[in-house]
Amino acid sequence: MKYWPLIKKLTLREIKSRYKQSFLGYFWVILNPFFQMLIMSFVFSHIMRIQGLGVPYPVFLYAGLLPWTFFATSLSSAMGSLVANSSLIKKIYFPREILVLSTLLAKTFDLSLSTLIFIALMVWFKVPITVFMTLFIPIFIIQFLFTFALGLLLASLNLFYRDVQYLFNLVLTLWFYLTPVIYSVEFFPARFRWIFKINPMSVFINAYRKVLLGGSWPSFSSLGLGVLVSAVFFIFSYYVFKKLEKEFADVV
Amino acid sequence: MNGTIKFENVNKSFLLQHQKTLKELAQAIFRKQKTVERVQALKNISLTINKGETVGIIGKNGAGKSTFLSLVAGVSFPTSGRVLVQGRVAPLIELGAGFHPELTGKENIFLNGVILGMSERYLVDKFSEIVRFSEIDEKFIYTPVKHYSSGMYMRLAFSVAIFTQPDILLVDEILAVGDTAFQEKCMNKMDEFKKQGVTIVYVSHSMSTVEKFCSRVIYLKKGEVVFDGNPKEAIKRYLKE
Repeated sequence: MKYWPLIKKLTLREIKSRYKQSFLGYFWVILNPFFQMLIMSFVFSHIMRIQGLGVPYPVFLYAGLLPWTFFATSLSSAMGSLVANSSLIKKIYFPREILVLSTLLAKTFDLSLSTLIFIALMVWFKVPITVFMTLFIPIFIIQFLFTFALGLLLASLNLFYRDVQYLFNLVLTLWFYLTPVIYSVEFFPARFRWIFKINPMSVFINAYRKVLLGGSWPSFSSLGLGVLVSAVFFIFSYYVFKKLEKEFADVV
Repeated sequence: MNGTIKFENVNKSFLLQHQKTLKELAQAIFRKQKTVERVQALKNISLTINKGETVGIIGKNGAGKSTFLSLVAGVSFPTSGRVLVQGRVAPLIELGAGFHPELTGKENIFLNGVILGMSERYLVDKFSEIVRFSEIDEKFIYTPVKHYSSGMYMRLAFSVAIFTQPDILLVDEILAVGDTAFQEKCMNKMDEFKKQGVTIVYVSHSMSTVEKFCSRVIYLKKGEVVFDGNPKEAIKRYLKE
């Protein structure tokens, strides 16, 4: 992999530069989802009184909130990654997908930091430790692939029309509510539940909850579909990205 | 051979959209104005630059000089025709493009070096040499470059770029870096490259440096090669117009 040093350096740049000149620095990576969790836990378990999840609400929420945060923040920064590096794109050749990939890797670093709080929560609420938990790694790899695919597509389109980022931020808000992050699938009316079958993010989050909190295998039929959709989507996005790449320097 | 550049009937055109927003577009359609225009940046260019040549490119703004460089750098592609570039290309253009203001001088040396295609081990080896060349104080190397003066910033960027080991060097009007002493140092470094047989493509508006430095000059006008050959002759033609 000839470009590995470049990927590494660009990822480090993302990570290092972000919280410079802030007193708490990297703690923000952990604090952000933590406070979000506290607020949402308060609203949904004390005010809306969501019950019958089998596990305490904060743990339930966190298992969905962390992968969602990874997804949403990755896409917002991936969308801007080409625009932000326009001076590089105009001058030096290297495969442009590296710019998108390095933002995703930086977000993966964030995710692994905020997982520490999740582990602490699981210990605190005495969630039983099982071997099934290790399955979160393959699930994450599939989610990463899906996010990367969407990131490539959005980043390249956003270079041509900045409308993409404004539009997609709206889509992301809607997507959040159509994904079982703050609620569980059972809270949705049965006749609308097909939405979760065609929504890859919902498939991933349900799978995470199964292996991390339920101590069981994930649903292989829906996860298998998730793999297939992610792979096909990735090939498509990569193809489109490479087609458009030739014109990047002319349009930025 | 590494270091040769070949253009075969190269045309490059851009689609220029006059109206950037929906509002402007609606107005233009309503008034029956032109909405898109094809701009020909380079017209039917065929030429060969051999290994070890030092070629100056002159012409007015918008003549196609930067487009020419971006085709050689491989970031832009011809609309028709072929561009053949053999060997490693190092662009000394828009210095510090990959610099991040929040990172320290040292971090930026490594970041920019890797972007320019140098290996990490090579950078570790050359690190103190790069710093010495830039004449930046040791203590500043460990502070974020946003605290640098613009002169220091450019000097550091130039010093990193100069340590690439290219077959082809693209230089775009960058020798206005730092004070006269540093500029002279840069020119010496360029002469060194010349002696090593590196192909240099040099874009500048400074006719005196072009004449002094280049062995061949290409004069571009509105995307076409008007003259290609003896520097004195090319400059005379350019200044006459």
